[in-house]
Amino acid sequence: MALPWIEKYRPKSFAEVVDQEEAKYTLASWICTRYKAPREFCARWGKKRDKEISEAKAVLLAGPPGVGKTTIVHALAKEINYELIELNASDVRTAERIKQVVGRGLRESSLFGYGGKLVLFDEVDGLHVKEDLGGLEAIIEIIETAKVPVVMTANNPYDPKFRPLRDLSLVVNLKKLSEDEVVEVLKRVCTGEGAKCEEEALRSIARSSLGDLRAAINDLQMYLSGGRRVLTVDDIKRVGERNPQLSMFEILDRVYKARWFDEARAVSFNPSFDWEQYFVWALESIPVVYKELELTSVAYDRLSKADMFIGRIKRTQEWELLPYALELALGGVSQVKNKPRLPPFIKYGFPQRLLLLARTKEVRRRRETLIEYLAQNLHVSQSLVRAELMYVLSALARHNPHVIERLSKSLGINSLDIKNLL
Amino acid sequence: MAELFWFEKYRPRSFDEVVDLEEVKVRLREFVKGGNMPHLLFYGPPGTGKTTMALVLARELYGEYWRENTLELNASDERGINIIRERLKEFARTAPVGKAPFKLVILDEADNMTSDAQQALRRIMEIYAQNTRFILLANYVSRIIDPIISRCAVFRFSPLPRHLMAERLRHIAEREGVTLKEDAVDVIYELSEGDMRRAINLLQIAAATNKVVDGNAVAAAATAVRPSDIVELFNLALNGDYLKAREKLRELMYIKGVAGVDFIRAFQRELIRMSLDDEVKAEVAELLADVDYRLTQGADEEIQLAYLLARLGAIGRRAKPTAPPPKKR
Repeated sequence: MALPWIEKYRPKSFAEVVDQEEAKYTLASWICTRYKAPREFCARWGKKRDKEISEAKAVLLAGPPGVGKTTIVHALAKEINYELIELNASDVRTAERIKQVVGRGLRESSLFGYGGKLVLFDEVDGLHVKEDLGGLEAIIEIIETAKVPVVMTANNPYDPKFRPLRDLSLVVNLKKLSEDEVVEVLKRVCTGEGAKCEEEALRSIARSSLGDLRAAINDLQMYLSGGRRVLTVDDIKRVGERNPQLSMFEILDRVYKARWFDEARAVSFNPSFDWEQYFVWALESIPVVYKELELTSVAYDRLSKADMFIGRIKRTQEWELLPYALELALGGVSQVKNKPRLPPFIKYGFPQRLLLLARTKEVRRRRETLIEYLAQNLHVSQSLVRAELMYVLSALARHNPHVIERLSKSLGINSLDIKNLL
Repeated sequence: MAELFWFEKYRPRSFDEVVDLEEVKVRLREFVKGGNMPHLLFYGPPGTGKTTMALVLARELYGEYWRENTLELNASDERGINIIRERLKEFARTAPVGKAPFKLVILDEADNMTSDAQQALRRIMEIYAQNTRFILLANYVSRIIDPIISRCAVFRFSPLPRHLMAERLRHIAEREGVTLKEDAVDVIYELSEGDMRRAINLLQIAAATNKVVDGNAVAAAATAVRPSDIVELFNLALNGDYLKAREKLRELMYIKGVAGVDFIRAFQRELIRMSLDDEVKAEVAELLADVDYRLTQGADEEIQLAYLLARLGAIGRRAKPTAPPPKKR
């Protein structure tokens, strides 16, 4: 059971790859015209002759997730008995690292009597412009110089930054899988697992996968987890209903009324839980729920620390640390010492901050204009204007109406509006 | 418009008008005479003449064309190093007007930049070294990364000594037809802590109501510029009226645009004057320091300040056992 089903049932041969006939023919023909490949394979798959195919230095497989891009390449390597040298998005892909890995792979002779080598750059659209410095250039250099076939995959190859890659490559599009094809594969998996699956149930899984076979197989494995051998439409409905859409009021109610830490924490697993929204609503509701200042400040202390974690995560981009922040914002806010019995119905107010921000947009805009203007003309920073000079200005304006009139003229803001800003 | 504020109206326009900083002037004069200079770093507390000296240098270098040849940027106002890079690209594209062979970039509050941004700045300085010179202004030199410091001629700016500040204030008072009493100078010097801009602001506000400015008039002026609305918030919170305090907080944050740190600074200044037990003061001081730190780390300022107000309320309630007990539940 250790193997995820998407690995266990990954096609081993070209023929097993479903619903991508056109792409398979093109890819095989390219290999057969430019590189050494078994005769039977080429006779079966590689009969397309085309200038575009024979001249391409590399192939770029494009298509949405879960349609078989990587699988096709793995199957191809197996069919033609090539060793696969693979770099994917989880590797660091700086120029140096790419050359190192590919270079080593190409230099060393294979142990197992392969007929050749095939380089696969998986998910090239995951190349990060900053972190994978020079990665794109390194790939291009390898395509230009290597004597072995190079294949790449991408969800969106039409990103302008891939222009140089596209110019060198033959772009082969893989299409979204049809519902029927997905159902067929799911049936095979069910049989393989010795499970009895209602066709309607599989169809429902296929429909919500939107042509992503990987997602569909993962879902199936989830439904059949724990050794279940039968899958019915009712199972899917039941599992589906386990996570209904909750309103923010219901989410708050679950958090505050949770009996223990874990119950509050579990709210974050609900699909309708939006943590950014939650922070704003928790900020609003804490004093309403706890009333007493001692309790309120304990709950705010936790929310404040959670917000610190969020701040750090945003700066360092270490999103894997998010659970700690959420745990504190949910469990920490919910479980305070000497928590009173909460009434059955709590009136959670809509966050006033959101209303205030919407209502005061104009005032804030005028204020910013004034501050910017002062900062520029007085050769000081906006923060100094905010912290000091606005108070000086308002003290001066109190005794000299002239001040406001002059500002009004320079800024084109009516003087009453300026007065209200001070 | 610049005339509105005396500190701007009387900002020195030439080396000769600057009353202090003799060594700095000597060396800057050399640069102007030679027609060339390295990048410069001016550091020192606020109101000690860094901006003034940079602008004076621009005028001395370019004469009437100083505006065309100078780009003033503020590191904390520009949103990120990329904006700075864009504005520089535009500015450095054209040749300098007049006889100086380079243009001038004045980057204020350079020490507010992260060290990553400063690294990027360093590269930018190199790229445009051909036809631009930078003057970096900072409060703390320790917050500037070494590679930048080593590329700059560094100048330290110290607070004005009392007699020179007094001289300048008298000069301004005379030009504005205001009588300045000697005790007023003392109070201004005390309150401004050597910050010339603050000193002139105090003088101007005091003079707005009194033709004769004495110590009392200055003290009144100081109260006028106290951020009274923030002080009011502080009192609301300490009295435990959380919901009212929150309303006030939002008004200040979202309508008046007061930044998180400004609340802390104002609270901190106010704390010393409050009639609270020293134990309580110590507890509040610790809280303020903690929240100041949290503000630098956090993502949402209102969350941090909400915590501050609630904790202040809890501390205030404990400190006043004589207050009516909270309603029984």
